[in-house]
Amino acid sequence: MIHVRNLHHSFSIGKKGKEKQVPVLKGISFDIAAGEIVSIVGRSGSGKSTLLHIMAGFLKPDSGDIRVADVTTSAFSEVESAKFRLDHYGFVFQNFQLMPGLTAFENVELPLVLKGIGKKERQQKVQGIMDNVGLKDVQDHYPNELSGGQQQRVSIARALITDPPVIFADEPTGSLDSETEQDVLLLIQSLNKSRGITFVIITHDDEVAHTADRIYRMHDGELVEGGVTRAI
Amino acid sequence: MQFKDQVDFIRRHIKKNKLRVFMTVLAATMGTAFLIVLASVGFGLHETLRDEVQSNRIITEIQVHASDESKEPSEQVGAFKEMAHVKAVVNRQRINAIQHSRLGEYTGSHEIVVTDFTEEARVGFALKEGRLPEKANEVVVGSDFGASMYLEMENENDEFVTYDGDLIGQQFIYQIGDYQTGNVFDEEIPFTIVGVGEYPAKDWQQDRSIYADRAMLVKMEEIYDAHIEEKQEDFKFIYNNVTVYADKVENVSTLANELKEEGYWVYSIADELKQMDVFFLALKAGLIFVGTIAILIASIGIFNTMTMAVTERTREIGVMKAIGANPKLIQRLFLMESAWIGIVGTLLAVAISYAVSTVANYLLPIIVAAALGEEDLGGMNVTFSVIPWQLVLIASAISIGVAMISGWRPARKATKIDVINALRQEL
Repeated sequence: MIHVRNLHHSFSIGKKGKEKQVPVLKGISFDIAAGEIVSIVGRSGSGKSTLLHIMAGFLKPDSGDIRVADVTTSAFSEVESAKFRLDHYGFVFQNFQLMPGLTAFENVELPLVLKGIGKKERQQKVQGIMDNVGLKDVQDHYPNELSGGQQQRVSIARALITDPPVIFADEPTGSLDSETEQDVLLLIQSLNKSRGITFVIITHDDEVAHTADRIYRMHDGELVEGGVTRAI
Repeated sequence: MQFKDQVDFIRRHIKKNKLRVFMTVLAATMGTAFLIVLASVGFGLHETLRDEVQSNRIITEIQVHASDESKEPSEQVGAFKEMAHVKAVVNRQRINAIQHSRLGEYTGSHEIVVTDFTEEARVGFALKEGRLPEKANEVVVGSDFGASMYLEMENENDEFVTYDGDLIGQQFIYQIGDYQTGNVFDEEIPFTIVGVGEYPAKDWQQDRSIYADRAMLVKMEEIYDAHIEEKQEDFKFIYNNVTVYADKVENVSTLANELKEEGYWVYSIADELKQMDVFFLALKAGLIFVGTIAILIASIGIFNTMTMAVTERTREIGVMKAIGANPKLIQRLFLMESAWIGIVGTLLAVAISYAVSTVANYLLPIIVAAALGEEDLGGMNVTFSVIPWQLVLIASAISIGVAMISGWRPARKATKIDVINALRQEL
């Protein structure tokens, strides 16, 4: 499904004219099969978030290739990348990243609005997802009226609404208490099973990482341990 | 994203920042209204002066005189009528003789003008009362005919007494005489007044003429010839004054040139009017330029509002981009928002400008007249402010254009927002 080959990336830091190039990714290569839950685990600064940003198309790599369903996404322009994200990816962020001015229902609806889908179809689809993730009762609430767990569910529902084959989750439980964390991880597992969605989870938490079918461990811009398969 | 969703998205944001958007719209409204009202003064003065010139019905008038190389214009009236863009051709004939008229005990000296009433009617010869002549001895008199009929004074110190009775249906006696001898001939021509001409456009103008049908001219010449045995060599009893009227102002030059090519001497004030138009065009352009400065000042407000909007919504824009919003869509949303400010500001400005213009046209003449200590402005119909659709169009284009240009940079900034940095922003 996703093939990453020899990915290099560096950031330039320091004053203008005195910049230093700091390598963040040093030749990363790995594969993710369709329908897998994959965790990329590592400490802060290991380069895992940069890897996700490049895989999602937020950043362009210095070199290397990313192929998703036989399409080389690393060569996309900004506009092509945005279109590909809308059609193929869903995102779950640590801080939920919900629109404060929109209700839970409207937040979930947003990707469909961007896709230009009609109101009636949108409402039917959103209603179905809201029921599915247990948000029916709070659908008219604004994000600041929801608990952390509820917000993350809204965020997951928003990621699911376009039926993407891949969902990237960046520290999806980073802002949640341990009980809610378990709820969210169970929801991810259940959606993976019921819908066959590929999840790519970025985390620093080993416990969260072990929810995955496959774990890649990163250290200082390199994969130091890869492809550990959890008994499914 | 569907258009109605884009509109809904903008509406939501405007609603969220009502006060700030209102103040920006207000600035755009004031700037645009200032431009329209300022330029409307130029349009108003131009129209007033044009009306003033046109009210004397001389704008489309071309006076045609004979030259050494041309034919006699009075013999070419029919040919002139056949020319393109000719509305009417009038040959006003006057006579070279003493003229004397008597209405009861009142007497006066009135010039007779022999003309073609059908053609006169086509170029605006208007009657204050009565009708046009149908018989040879029927005449129309000028509006000041009665006021120039005097009662004979018994003493030198007596005040002038003029005729102020009804004129329609009155019969008066008309006599001619010889300038050289000063004699008035005995033959009396009775005329019946059937119509009185409209007052001249200017207060200081007087019209005391007698407008008669062409048939009377032969009779007058017979009377004159019967009394004068030897005429001077270059004496002319009848003076012709041929005037050609163009159908439209823009055709006056073409028509005048054609007549010049045929050897006639022509006079028209269309050329002078052209200079006036050029002057007013420059004036109006200048006023629009000054007004545009006000809009440019308002545009700073729009720029500020949109920059603030982009800065405030950085995280939201980042989320939208992360989800997959096309950068062009984000740019369009912000441009639409600044265009909305421009459009609403313009619509309000147009409405306000028309109201201000109406009030100014009503009040200013009263105020100016009061300041001058007069009852009116000397009969002059002054329009202080006119807002033609062209001005509305120009002002709207400038206002909406400037609003969109002001929103352009913030909109570009929105598309350039880095997703990763935006997502790192705190709520």
